[in-house]
Amino acid sequence: MAKSRSTPAHASNKKVRSSGWQIFMVGSFLFYMLVPIISTYIFSVATRWDRTILPEGFTLEFYKRAFAASYFTITLRNSLILSVATVLVSLLVIVPTVYWIHTHLPGAKPLLDVLMILPFGIPTVVLALALVQVYNFPPLARSPYLLIGAVVVYSMPFMYRPVSNAIQAVDAHVLTEAGQSLGANIFQVLSRIIIPNILPGILSGSLLVFSTVFAEYTLTSLIVGARFKTFPLLLVEFTRINGNVASAFSVISFTIAWLASILILWIGTKGQTAKTESLRAR
Amino acid sequence: MAYLELKNVTKSFASTPAVRDFTLDIEKGSLVSFLGPSGCGKTTTLRMIAGFEQLDTGTIQLDGSDITTMPPNRRDIGMVFQAYALFPNMTVRENIAFGLQMKKTSKMEIKKRVDAVLEMVRLQDTAKRYPHQLSGGQQQRIALARALAVEPRVLLLDEPLSALDAEVRVVLRGEIRRIQSELAITTVYVTHDQEEALSISDKVVVMNKGFIEQVGTPEEIYRAPNTRFVATFIGTANQFYGVVTGKDSVDCTNIKLSVEDLNDFSNGQSVVVLVRPENIQVQSKQPKLNNWNIMQGEIETITFHGAITRLGANVSGQRVVADITVANTEAVSLNQKIWLSFPSDACQVMAVNE
Repeated sequence: MAKSRSTPAHASNKKVRSSGWQIFMVGSFLFYMLVPIISTYIFSVATRWDRTILPEGFTLEFYKRAFAASYFTITLRNSLILSVATVLVSLLVIVPTVYWIHTHLPGAKPLLDVLMILPFGIPTVVLALALVQVYNFPPLARSPYLLIGAVVVYSMPFMYRPVSNAIQAVDAHVLTEAGQSLGANIFQVLSRIIIPNILPGILSGSLLVFSTVFAEYTLTSLIVGARFKTFPLLLVEFTRINGNVASAFSVISFTIAWLASILILWIGTKGQTAKTESLRAR
Repeated sequence: MAYLELKNVTKSFASTPAVRDFTLDIEKGSLVSFLGPSGCGKTTTLRMIAGFEQLDTGTIQLDGSDITTMPPNRRDIGMVFQAYALFPNMTVRENIAFGLQMKKTSKMEIKKRVDAVLEMVRLQDTAKRYPHQLSGGQQQRIALARALAVEPRVLLLDEPLSALDAEVRVVLRGEIRRIQSELAITTVYVTHDQEEALSISDKVVVMNKGFIEQVGTPEEIYRAPNTRFVATFIGTANQFYGVVTGKDSVDCTNIKLSVEDLNDFSNGQSVVVLVRPENIQVQSKQPKLNNWNIMQGEIETITFHGAITRLGANVSGQRVVADITVANTEAVSLNQKIWLSFPSDACQVMAVNE
């Protein structure tokens, strides 16, 4: 990373050599980003990989063991429940709030901006322990509901930013008034005008929240632990038993996150086919 | 009883008054402009008629019923915004159909109405396009068509031409007036452009600092301004400050003016005499005219405006502007001594209350 930071200045000064530097820069960056992922993939199908540069042999054995693990399906299900629930709650809370702030309380926007940085500032361990202490009564105490509430807070900035930017870009205030003057009530304004126009922001927010929550470990482990075991918990458990199986779990986790992303994007573009042009214009 | 009535309407934003004691009757089918500098309360008043701002005090009545607290989507009042505000996710046809869909109009009827208003704004071939594929002028025509499609009781236009090129502005304001007269739709038009207001309105409401300065036909507003603000805001007026010294004369330090009918003023009262530049004649020799104000000055500025040329002259330290046409004057040059003359009935006298 240090290298890639110092190079752009050189690259822009000497145009002749810039292409070589650029290739080197982009190459190093890709190497830095991809090596862990590629090695995880290889490790999940490698027989033995500690005495040689390349694995000694390949096998699907670890995937068999991964799929056979007693908690495999249930943790996957729990993770999906958690991620989907968090995305839904986040959408229900963030979209109307941001819309209302932009159209009726623009003065409160800076406050909201600051508020949305806070989750980054509080260590998750502190957040988890504080929540466990405060909500120590049923039905909330150490329940999946408390967990969903906690992850919603933790992942909120990922939903807030794209949605807020999208609402800003479409001038929601004027569009709302235009809709109202044509006889639309607030729900019709939201469903027919505002949401379709900020859909790209909603989709990217949902994607970010989904993948963040799908890989969430600290909050889950501290708030619910074994009561509501999610996929990352199972994965961490297996790193202590067998690294190869843990790698197989990682690969499965990646794949699910990617499939979910593609699914969300597909749903988005399906409702937008004719409208891509109008969105690109912005 | 008038169709749209505003009674004693006031509105403040964070203790800054925006509209003060605004009372106005608007006749059915007429086009009324709110004209004034920015911050005069014209847009706020329009937004209160639309229902986007709540009144502090006062009432608004439409067609005999009180709409003061009615939510905007139930008022049946169409609006055209400065920023067009077309829905970017919808085609032109969908944009125009939106209001009709909200009214649960049948599909057949919607198609008929959309085609009709598209024809009215002469943009039939854009039905399938998206707003961003249209020029600014076209977008505003579609916004007008969208507002008209639902056949609203009142049409509000909030500086609809401000974002457009000068050329498009002139064409489109003609179009707006044509369509408005064709449909005989009651219209309120907000603008800060006096030429726009004077050229398309049945009545002009000149506003300043939240107050109505004057309501009148465009000609009344121009020829007989009630206040100094109106006289100087609409067109240009020379201002001579002085005191009343008789029943037909005003003494302005170095210049003595003879004016008509000072019955409403008392001797020694401070007044300002307003004279429009087009009412001042310019000659190189001293003219012999009875009852005219005649003064000598030196040309300081010459500004070419096309049909007229505006001269700025120094008359004993007072700056006086006069308009000349090519036909009625000889060539003029800077620092030239000229004679300026205007009849006493071209002077309008107003009290100065400082």
